[in-house]
Parts: sequence; C-alpha cells; structure tokens
Amino acid sequence: MIRSIVISSLIIVACDFAQSTWFSAISIMGVTPDLALVVLIWLSYQNGVIAGSSSGFLAGLAQDFISASPIGFNAFIKTAVASVAGLLHGSFYIDRLLLPIVLGAVGTIAKALAAGLLFLVFGAKLHVYDVLGSSLWIEVAYNGLIAPLAFLLLTPLKGLVKAERGRA
Amino acid sequence: MNEQGRPPEGRGRRAVPPVLLAASLVCLIVSTRSLQGLPESIGLTVLGFFQRGFSAVGSFVTDTVSSIAELRRLRDNYRELAAKLDRYTNMERGMADLREENKRLKEQLELSAEIGYQRIAARIVAKDPENLYSTIMIDKGVGDGVRKNMPVIAFQDGIEGLVGKVVEVGRGVGMVLPLYDSGSYVAARLSDGSRYEGLVGGQGSADDPLLMRFVKKRAKDEVQFGDLAVTTGFESIYPPEVAIGRVKKVIAPDFQTSVDMELEPVLDFSRLEYVFVIKPATPAAVTADGE
Repeated sequence: MIRSIVISSLIIVACDFAQSTWFSAISIMGVTPDLALVVLIWLSYQNGVIAGSSSGFLAGLAQDFISASPIGFNAFIKTAVASVAGLLHGSFYIDRLLLPIVLGAVGTIAKALAAGLLFLVFGAKLHVYDVLGSSLWIEVAYNGLIAPLAFLLLTPLKGLVKAERGRA
Repeated sequence: MNEQGRPPEGRGRRAVPPVLLAASLVCLIVSTRSLQGLPESIGLTVLGFFQRGFSAVGSFVTDTVSSIAELRRLRDNYRELAAKLDRYTNMERGMADLREENKRLKEQLELSAEIGYQRIAARIVAKDPENLYSTIMIDKGVGDGVRKNMPVIAFQDGIEGLVGKVVEVGRGVGMVLPLYDSGSYVAARLSDGSRYEGLVGGQGSADDPLLMRFVKKRAKDEVQFGDLAVTTGFESIYPPEVAIGRVKKVIAPDFQTSVDMELEPVLDFSRLEYVFVIKPATPAAVTADGE
C-alpha cells in the first residue's frame, strides 16, 4: 500500500506541476482545470479511503508549498475529497463518459465546500470560491469535461497504483 | 470479508483520514499565524526545482514546434533581407551621427535608472496551481538577490507597470503576489492633475479590473475616464510613480463616504513573460518581514 500511496502522490504532484506551467494556455477566463483533483478522485476511487486520503494529504501538502495558500489548506481539501471518493470505492461501475463527468464536477463542488468550511474557521486569511462568481462554475464544468479523458488515460496505470490490501 | 468481498477495515485504518485531516488543520493553524517561514521556503525550493523542470520541458516542446514554422518563414525573410541589405549599405554613412547621439542618450538613461533602483530580470516559469490563488513563480530566488517584499515591475508596449511583490523566496525560485490577487493592496494616487489618493486592490482574477478604494468623494467630479493611477511610494515597498492602471469606471454610492474606481491595469498579465524584481535603494523595506 505504501508503494501505491507514494506513486499516486507523485502522479498527483506531477499533475500540479503540469497545471501550473502548461495549463495557462488552455485557461478559460483565467480558470485552469484542476487535473490533480480529477486524478486524485480516480486514484481514491480505485484504492479506497486509506490509500486515497494519504495520497491526497501528501500531494495537497506538496501543492501548498508551490501555492500562495497557507500550508495545510490544500492538504485538508485533498484529504477530504479523497476520503469521500475512497468511500465510494467499488460501489458502482465507472463507465466511459457519464460517471467520470459527474465525479469530476461533484469533486470540484466538494473541494469548494471544503474550502468554504476552512474559511468559516480561519477567516480572511484563506481564499474561498464565490458561489455567485463564474470561476467556480467554469472549474466545475472544466473538471467534469476533462475527467472522462483523464480516467481513460489513467486506466493503463491501474496495475501500477493499485493498493494491495492488508499489506500496509 | 464483507458482502462485496472486501476485507473489513480495522479501527486503526479507519482513523487514518481523520488523523490526516487533523494534521492538515495543525499545519493551517501554524501557517496562518505565520510562525514558520522556513518550511515554506524549503518546500518552495525543492518543489520549485521540479516546477522549473516542467516549465523547461513545456518551453522546449513549444519552441521546437514553433521553430519548424519559424524556419520556413525565416527562409523567405532571408531572401527579402538580402535585397534590403544592399539598400541599407548605402545609408550607413549617416548612421555615425545617430550612433553618437544614441550613445549619449543611453548613458543618461542608465544613470537615471541607477539613481532609482537596481533591477533583477526574471522569467515567469509557472502560475499558482490552485485557481483560488493567483501567484506567479519566477526563476530567480535568494541566490540571485531576491528577497521577500521586493516590488516587481514589467515593461509592456513601452510602458513600465507594477506587477506585484515577492511573497516567498526559495533558492532559485520566487513567488510573486500580483496586483490582481484579492490579497494585494497598494497605496496609489492619480497622476493626472487631481492627485487623489486611494488603495488599489485586486479582485482575484487577471481578467477583472483592479479596484481603487477610499478615494475622497469630491473626486467623482474631477476624475476622468483614462486617468492614470500610480504608486505613491508611501509603504516603502513600492517605488513611487510606477503605473498601475487607468480609470475605467467611478463607483460613487450615496451611502458611502468615499468613492471606488475600477482601474484597467496598464499591463496585460496574461501576456507577461519577463519581469523585473526591484532592489530598493533602502533595504529597510525588505528586511521588515524578517528577511
């Protein structure tokens, strides 16, 4: 399982690097897709709560270092989203299109809710999505749209990142 | 085994997510109180190294693709230029005077630049991976003389404009908080006659206009569309008279004792590639934050 957590975390961090360096070219109104979140959702769904949340925590912590967010902000959000995705592990069959779109979009809303929760506790030191603003909904739509492609591309990696249960 | 054939998760394992969430919160509690500059700096240094690698790969691919098209264009240009060269050879005599004049002007220009401040040229290598935040990563850090709170400017279409300030530095990378970030504030004044002062802040997106707030109410009759807002230099972080943006709209609600103004930034942040970090003449400003 440790191997799976490490590999998963590295994949998510690589996605963070990609979206911070290359994705500005495909931004819509300044909003880039959160590929790292989509990948995290897929990995957590495949590997369950423990591996998923651990990968989310490590990758979120790494993201906090290259972001202006306070340390712990992304770690919390990604751990929370990964835990929810991990709880769904094996609950239903993921098709090629519909479910990835739903998971990508709902995962983004869950991320916004987690950010809102932290904002309630820590106040103005944190940034939070504006529910009436366009950027949240652009990101929801964008993540939903890239999720089918991301899930498809991740499928060959299933063997590499699969957590072996019972061998923590 | 449960109904789905999965082994049951023990109590210890079920505790992992709450423990990790609690660890995240501990990190947040510590970091929001700004107790630790060092871990952030170390993390930024290590991860910034890889981020620069990703940026370099992206640049390499983009450059390679564009250079193929460029080669074709260059071949045509070469033929045209060879013809032009014949004509320009005849004009060279008149150039001697112009060169001399250019040299004199350059000397004056460099002198005025030295009096104000020194600049460290840096390339933008990445942007914040999180849409909620809008920082910019540059390829210069502590090793290049960049320090926390140093102002950052850029030149675009012949205009010198304010980009923001350095908020975090690693060994070879720096993190810049741009003007349009919602956590960014700059003391500004209108440079065109009226000289009204206010506080310019961002709205979180490069596409949204900047907001100049707390401007005296009587300004609404005097300020004109297109008036330029510049830095005052009051905070001792930003040098004075650096262009910020032009007045786009004046918002003057009756219930407010001051007016707000929407400013169109003089810089198009989406097109920025290179910036200049300014070393202030007085180091007090950059040392104020423990650097």
